Amino acid sequence: MLAPVRPAADREHADIQELRLRDSGPMPESLVIESQGLTRRYGPITAVDDVNLRVRKGEVYGFLGPNGAGKTTTLRMLLGLIQPTSGTISVLGSGPGTSEGLARVGSMIETPAFYPFLSGRDNLAMLAAYTGTPSSRIDEVLGIVRLTDRAGDPFRIYSLGMKQRLGVAAALLKDPPLLILDEPTNGLDPAGMAEMRQLIRDLGSGERTVLVSSHLMHEVEQICDRVGVIARGRLVAEGTVQDLRGPIALVIRADPLGEAKQLVDGIAGVTRIGIENDALRIMFDPRSTLDPAYVNHRLVAAGIAVRELRLDQRSLESVFLSLTSPDHAEVDHHATA
Amino acid sequence: MQQPDLSRMIGAEIRLLLKRTSTWVLLAIWLVMSVTFSYILPYIVYRSGSASDFGEDFDSMLPGQLLDSVGSGLPFFGGSIVLIMGVISVGSEFGWGMWKTLFTQRPGRGRVFTAKMAALGVMVIPFIVSILILAAAASGIIAAIEGAPMDWPAPTAIAQGLLGGWVILAVWTAAGVMLATVTQGTGVAIGIGILWALVIEGLIGIFAGGISWLGWLVDLLLRSNGYSLMRAMFDGAQGQDQGPGSFAGPYVSGTQAMLVLLGYLVLFVGIPYLLLRRRDIA
Repeated sequence: MLAPVRPAADREHADIQELRLRDSGPMPESLVIESQGLTRRYGPITAVDDVNLRVRKGEVYGFLGPNGAGKTTTLRMLLGLIQPTSGTISVLGSGPGTSEGLARVGSMIETPAFYPFLSGRDNLAMLAAYTGTPSSRIDEVLGIVRLTDRAGDPFRIYSLGMKQRLGVAAALLKDPPLLILDEPTNGLDPAGMAEMRQLIRDLGSGERTVLVSSHLMHEVEQICDRVGVIARGRLVAEGTVQDLRGPIALVIRADPLGEAKQLVDGIAGVTRIGIENDALRIMFDPRSTLDPAYVNHRLVAAGIAVRELRLDQRSLESVFLSLTSPDHAEVDHHATA
Repeated sequence: MQQPDLSRMIGAEIRLLLKRTSTWVLLAIWLVMSVTFSYILPYIVYRSGSASDFGEDFDSMLPGQLLDSVGSGLPFFGGSIVLIMGVISVGSEFGWGMWKTLFTQRPGRGRVFTAKMAALGVMVIPFIVSILILAAAASGIIAAIEGAPMDWPAPTAIAQGLLGGWVILAVWTAAGVMLATVTQGTGVAIGIGILWALVIEGLIGIFAGGISWLGWLVDLLLRSNGYSLMRAMFDGAQGQDQGPGSFAGPYVSGTQAMLVLLGYLVLFVGIPYLLLRRRDIA
């Protein structure tokens, strides 16, 4: 189940946690990545701190965090490139970096690394030898990332976008059930980013699981089924994008406000009413069939002037900023001390 | 789950070495240096009739001493050249960030390293064969011009020479690999390697003449054991105390030389193997 990763300290965090707890159901048995207490220290610096990551089969999981939050270190540990100081990792039921696990994981960590003097195709041929992949697969993956036309050019003259696409092609060579992509849109122009996002969505549309790290909110929002937010090495929240954004509220600006509040309070399905900025902020049970038009009708029928009525939900960006702000860390630090 | 075929991995690594410009540049440098300093310049000196230490022995340029001539260059010129090849082939992987790409493929770190080392071991063979062919051509031409006898070495002696040469070059290549792995790059590794090969071993040898307790150390140097192995194989390659890379002893027995060199090979392969298996790849 999705246990709260960190205690929430303000109303926003309470909302997030509340929804995360609501999300807590029986965890699917098909976890492809599971870490327990994953920690990596470099001397006095704790880069990754007690991370419990759970990625489910078939989902596109966004690993969201600001630069330097510990995303890449975590991903490197999942792939066996870095040894954790403590904690356990299971990737597709195998230990990190084991031959059994790596056989079923395709990855691209940070900037794609290839031999600059070899062509894209020759680089893939090199890796195909290491993965035991038939050579015919090379053309397939080049086609998937739309690099066939430039496959014969040396890697050193590739644009950043082409390098990223070759990196994804290399990750796909094994046709793996799990893809781990570390900031795959880094350095791409808007068109390249859109193309890469679509590619990732396509790759994660079937049975394949994709773990993609990013520090771009709208990117994660567009392509991910679930999100884990990491800040200063700790996983501070985990859930679907909707979960993290919190419930949708109905905001009503009306006159007189007190009468409006009293009336709305009696409507079935309303769970909480607050007043913010001279407007009612109404939370309601998402399972209810409460219709904003019905609320409007009741208010107007009661002679209350409705000047504004809209649905409102926090942006992922505001959630992200509140979760990753130093203030949040301060609060959590005190909370856990 | 079945592991990828090691022979296919080695084949890919060999193709990679063949596509590295540095491999061909190093081979070309070695061939030019060997022919220039073992045949062309000595022959010019010989023909000019000037008294010079360098090239005064005409017989050393003839087919009969082909193996001695080639063998005398292996522990010095050849060693330095293949050391650089070893450094570049492994050290550049750090610079390009290739280890993370290779180590996240299927075979695991140990097998990746094994494939790289095996490919380097194979690549040393055409290096020796090339130098042998070129030296044979040079000595054949000189013999033809001078009307000297074409007494070529027996095939068994050639095979023996190739084997001994391979051991010497393999040790130097592995030394390059070890230095590159320890320093995680190419620049410092090449610097240290060349300094050791061209300066430090020679200086230790010089001072050993006056400091008796340095003698045992000289017996363990790569250069001493390389020349000793060559001499044991051909009863030649004794060094004539002339030219760059000359060696005038002390020599150890052929068996000891082979054992010491194989010991170095194990050490120079084992250290990077352990380091690469254990190290974090940042």
